[in-house]
Parts: sequence; C-alpha cells; structure tokens
Amino acid sequence: MPKLRLPKATLALPAWVWLLAFFAAPVGLIIWYSFGYKPSIFGTHANDILSLDRYAEALSPTFFSTFSNTLWVGVVGTLACLIIGMPVAYWMAVKVPTAKRGLLIAAIMIPFWTNFLVRTIGWQIILAPQGWLSQGLQAVGLIDGPLEILYTRTAVLIGVIYNYLPLMILPLFVAFDRVGEPLREASKDLGAGRLQTFLRVTIPLARPGIIAGLLLVYIPLMGDYITATVLGGAKGNMAGQLVAAQFQSAQNWALGSAMAVVLILTILLSAAVLGLIIWLATLPFRSHYRLRLGAEA
Amino acid sequence: MTDPATGASVTTGSSPDEPTGTVVLESVTKRFGTAVAVDNITLRVEPGEFLSLLGPSGCGKTTTLRMLAGFEQPDEGSIRISGKDVLGIPPYKRNVNTVFQAYALFPHLTIAENVAYGLQQTKVPKAEIRTRVADALDMVRMRTFADRKPQQLSGGQQQRIALARALVNRPSVLLLDEPLGALDRQLREEMQLELKLLQSRVGISFIFVTHDQHEALSMSDRIAIMREGRIEQLADADTIYGAPKNSYVAGFIGQQNFLDATAKDVTSADSAVGPVTTTNVNPAVHGGDRIVAAVRPEFVQLAASADGGKSPGRANVFDGTILSSSHLGETVQFLVDLGNEVSIQARLPTPTAPRLSEGDRATVTFSPDSVQFFPSESTAPQQEPTKE
Repeated sequence: MPKLRLPKATLALPAWVWLLAFFAAPVGLIIWYSFGYKPSIFGTHANDILSLDRYAEALSPTFFSTFSNTLWVGVVGTLACLIIGMPVAYWMAVKVPTAKRGLLIAAIMIPFWTNFLVRTIGWQIILAPQGWLSQGLQAVGLIDGPLEILYTRTAVLIGVIYNYLPLMILPLFVAFDRVGEPLREASKDLGAGRLQTFLRVTIPLARPGIIAGLLLVYIPLMGDYITATVLGGAKGNMAGQLVAAQFQSAQNWALGSAMAVVLILTILLSAAVLGLIIWLATLPFRSHYRLRLGAEA
Repeated sequence: MTDPATGASVTTGSSPDEPTGTVVLESVTKRFGTAVAVDNITLRVEPGEFLSLLGPSGCGKTTTLRMLAGFEQPDEGSIRISGKDVLGIPPYKRNVNTVFQAYALFPHLTIAENVAYGLQQTKVPKAEIRTRVADALDMVRMRTFADRKPQQLSGGQQQRIALARALVNRPSVLLLDEPLGALDRQLREEMQLELKLLQSRVGISFIFVTHDQHEALSMSDRIAIMREGRIEQLADADTIYGAPKNSYVAGFIGQQNFLDATAKDVTSADSAVGPVTTTNVNPAVHGGDRIVAAVRPEFVQLAASADGGKSPGRANVFDGTILSSSHLGETVQFLVDLGNEVSIQARLPTPTAPRLSEGDRATVTFSPDSVQFFPSESTAPQQEPTKE
C-alpha cells in the first residue's frame, strides 16, 4: 500500500505562512513605499517616481536627534536591564530553593496581567513633580525643589527599564538554572573561587540565555513608542513615535516607511556592533585560558 | 557504634602524627533539619591508603565525602586533612579533589582545558600546565582526545578525564563519589583494576564512596561499612568477609544464610531444624540468648542422601529437599528446604556440584569454623541494595 509521505517541514507550515504573510510581506511593502512619495494632501503614498529623497528627509537634523536619542535609550536601557536583572536571575536560579522559585517567577510575571499603557501611566503619577516620590525625596532632604524628571529622557529610561526588565530576568534565570550545581561544585573543587567560577563556568554556559535576554529587551525597546509618548513629552522623543506620527497623523506613508527602514537598520547594525565590541573585549580573557595540545601522542 | 580505629592526637595544625595525606574525622555529626545524616563518626585514613565507605543509599557516605570536600560543614566534631583543621575552609582552599558521580566535566571546554582548569587557578606557568596536562592525559591513556569536547566521549572515557582532571592537581587526598556507578558492568570491572593500579602508582590517599560491595572488596585497603550515619565496622576486606562484627555487616557483604537459634553456650545453639555449633567465639553471645547463626552459601556442603533417612542430632548436619537449582556459570546455586519453614542456600563449584534437581533428597553440612553467632537484631536485606 503506497504511503503518503509529506516532507518533515510540513509541520512548520503554519509558521511559514504566518511569517510570510505577517512579516516578510509587510516589510517588503514598507521597503517599497520608502522609495516613493506622498502624492497629495489626501493620498498616503505613491510609487510612480522612485527616489531616496524620503531617506534624506528621515535623516535630516530634525529627525536625526530623535534617532540618536532612541539609540541612547535603547543601549543604556538594555544594559541597565542586564545589570539589574543578572543578580536577580542568579539569586533565583542558584540561591532560592526550588520550591519557592515558582512564587518568584509569578511575582515577576503578575505585572504583565495589567495593561502596558496603564502600567506606564502609573509612572506619570509616581514621577510627577507633585507625586509621592518627589514629595518623599523632598521630605528626607535629598532634593530641594520638586522632582523635574517627568517628560524627560530620564523618565523614558526609567519607564523602559521597568517595562522590559522581566524579559531580561526570565531567559537569564533559565540559563543560570541550566548550568547546574554540579558544575559550580566541580569548579570550586578544582580551586576556583566564587568570581572565577562565575566568570569561567556560569557566564560561558549561560551565554545563549544572556544573548537571548539582550535581544529580547533591545529590539522591542528600540521600537517602543508608548513609553516615550506617555513619559517622554517633547524632550524624550523616540523613533517609534516618529513612525507612528507619519502613518497616523501626517498620513505620509512614504516618509514613515523610510523612517521604519532606518530604525530597522539602526537596530541590526547597532546590535552587530555591540556584539563585536563585547566579543573583542573578552577575547584576551578567553584566549588566556585556551589550550590546544594537538593530536601528537 | 563507631570503630575506635583512631589514635589521633587532639592538636590542630601540622603535626608529625598526621603527615600529608592523613584524614581524621573526630565525632563528626551532620544533620539536615531533624534528620541525622552522619551520626558521630570517628575515622582515620592513613596517607596512601585506599579506603571505601560502603553502605546502602541514605547511610551518610556521600555526606561524609561532601564534608571532606568542603561542600557541607559538620554540625559537630572536627575534620583534619594532613593535620590541618579544615572546619569552615571553603572547597577551593582545600588540598583535596573530587571525582564526581556524573563526572561534572565542563561542556564548553575541551578535554585538555578541563584538565588544565585546576592548574590555571594557581600560579602554575603556562608551559608547565601544558606538560602536566599532557602527562595526566597520558596517565589515563586519553592523550589523543585532548582537543575534543566532553560530549564527544563515551562514559568510560569521561570517567578517565574526570580522574585526570582531579589527579593533575596532585591533591593530598582524592575523593571519589561512586565514580563507576554510571558504567556498564564489564567497563566497571576494567576501571576497578585500573583505578587500583593508578592509586598504588600515585600514592595518594583515596576515599571511595560506593554502594557496590564487589567494588569495595576488590579495591580497598580498608572498608568502612556504614548504616544510618554510623560506621558499623572498619576493617580490611578479609576481616569484613571472614569476621563480620555483627549480623548487619555479615548480611551486607556477600550472601549469608541466617538460622534463628537459641544459644546453649558461646559455641553451640539449637535452631528449629537441629543443633548448630561454631568455633568462632563471639563475646556478645551468652547462653540462653536469641541469636542468629550465619553461614555463607559457599561454605555449605551438599550431598545426595540415597537412603532418605534422617541424620538426627548431629550438629551442622541437616536433611532436606532441593527446592531449586540454578546454574550461575562457575557455580551452581541450590535452595534446600530443611523443614519447619527453614531453607538454606548452597553454592558449589560447577565441576564438583552434585547433580540434584527439584524434589531430590539431600544432606546439608557445614563445618563449625564457617559458622558465626550474632545476637539477634535487624539484619541487612539479602538482595543488592538499590542504587542511589
């Protein structure tokens, strides 16, 4: 009896369809629109004349400062998430008894049950010049006047760290947990102290999780415009807001597409450059412990 | 019940009584919550000695080893390694190394880098690290695998790397936590031989944790039989096998027939199937006590009894019926029903074993010097203890 054998990749068919229809095609359209122009006050885009003019517009001084601002918030925010999230994840994976970990993971996830926008607006109340944080800091004498950080880049930074920190902690936790107690014990047994064990066993083995955490935070953070809209005001603009404004208010899809492409390229390039910098910076450390004996017996 | 096998001095710090490689545990107790894992253990390991901690899972042998490595701290008592009190000293500052049960090789490092790891933690020059790593790999015959990753190696090969990684640091004491447990039987027997040869060559004290009595018997200079956190007996293999201290040790090592009996005096007793005598005097046995008389299956003689008649009254001679016989290769094992719900195992060398099968009548005898009397108490199960 002949058997119908479908290729194994058939299992991934829904994923391929999804990826093509909702990712590849829209990105292709955006790239296509970015070479066009806004034909009239009522049209959103036209592609009968192709040019790079929209890119020149997107990178003009007006918008360029917003892109560099976005890059600053993205890099500083992601690194802050890493620095804050790493000790928490390590503590959860290594020090906390297994039975109590579920509770901690729940505590990290529960804020996600609240709407993203509502959580962000909550920070308006906290950071307001008349808010309790401002009053508290004044009461203990740490600042003289009211706290003036709402609607600044600092407020945006605080907001994105708060919003994206769980996305850093969870992959780091899984990565640290998978290293396992036996390998840390073996390291200590061989004479390595806590720091050496962390640098030479825990970090290298947790590297996939660390990279996942960095990308999981950095990429959505760079495209985020809700946090910047709610907390940034005029001084805390981010590129995501520009793109949204061109599509929604200005109805200039050509310029909005060019900005979106610039943002995508900025994310890809900066991630690659940052990765290269980290790789080069740790090269001496790694090559110091490298040992190849060769095959001679 | 601990063995008073220590004449250790009570001074701390380096002492001529405790040269490098000596390990002394004095009244060491470790509790986890309310459970006592190690209960007042006193033990002395001499330099260059191969000592096994043998017992079923949960007897405290691994906890004892972990206290020596520094992963656990005792609640009471003191531990000295090479004459130095190690209480509170972290694992990375102790001159001991461990071969772990699951090897715990670093998956992101090559074999050579795994072996070099310990040396790289100290100020050993790079050139010396190279030669020492190469030598260590030569020692375990794994030199050609130097640049591979641990995942590319078989279990037995990984086991050798774990051994090389520990020994390359020239520790004064090597701790081995069931290192052969994950290997199949043939490889395990090979590694037992290799390990013993290696130990006598490097002259380092080995403390070996196992639940496998054959492993302990074949390799150890001395064996500590542990039960419920205490050492039941600490002696060499011959003594443990031939003169076990109590019925627990007698039952744990090898196989044992236990006959319930009442002692008449220190050398004779009455069992349900007839009188039993011994030439081994156990001072713990007194006339009138409830005792068990122990005799190993390999010391039981078996002969066909053609007449089927009784041999009444003679000590250590019983008539019975064969319940089963099974061929074990070099030996044949018989189970003989002696009546009164008593049965006895006999194991005879295949060439001289009588051809008896189920239902045949047979006479069972054993000589008084193969019999041991122990006060009645709980005895170890006869089957192999389950793996931890």
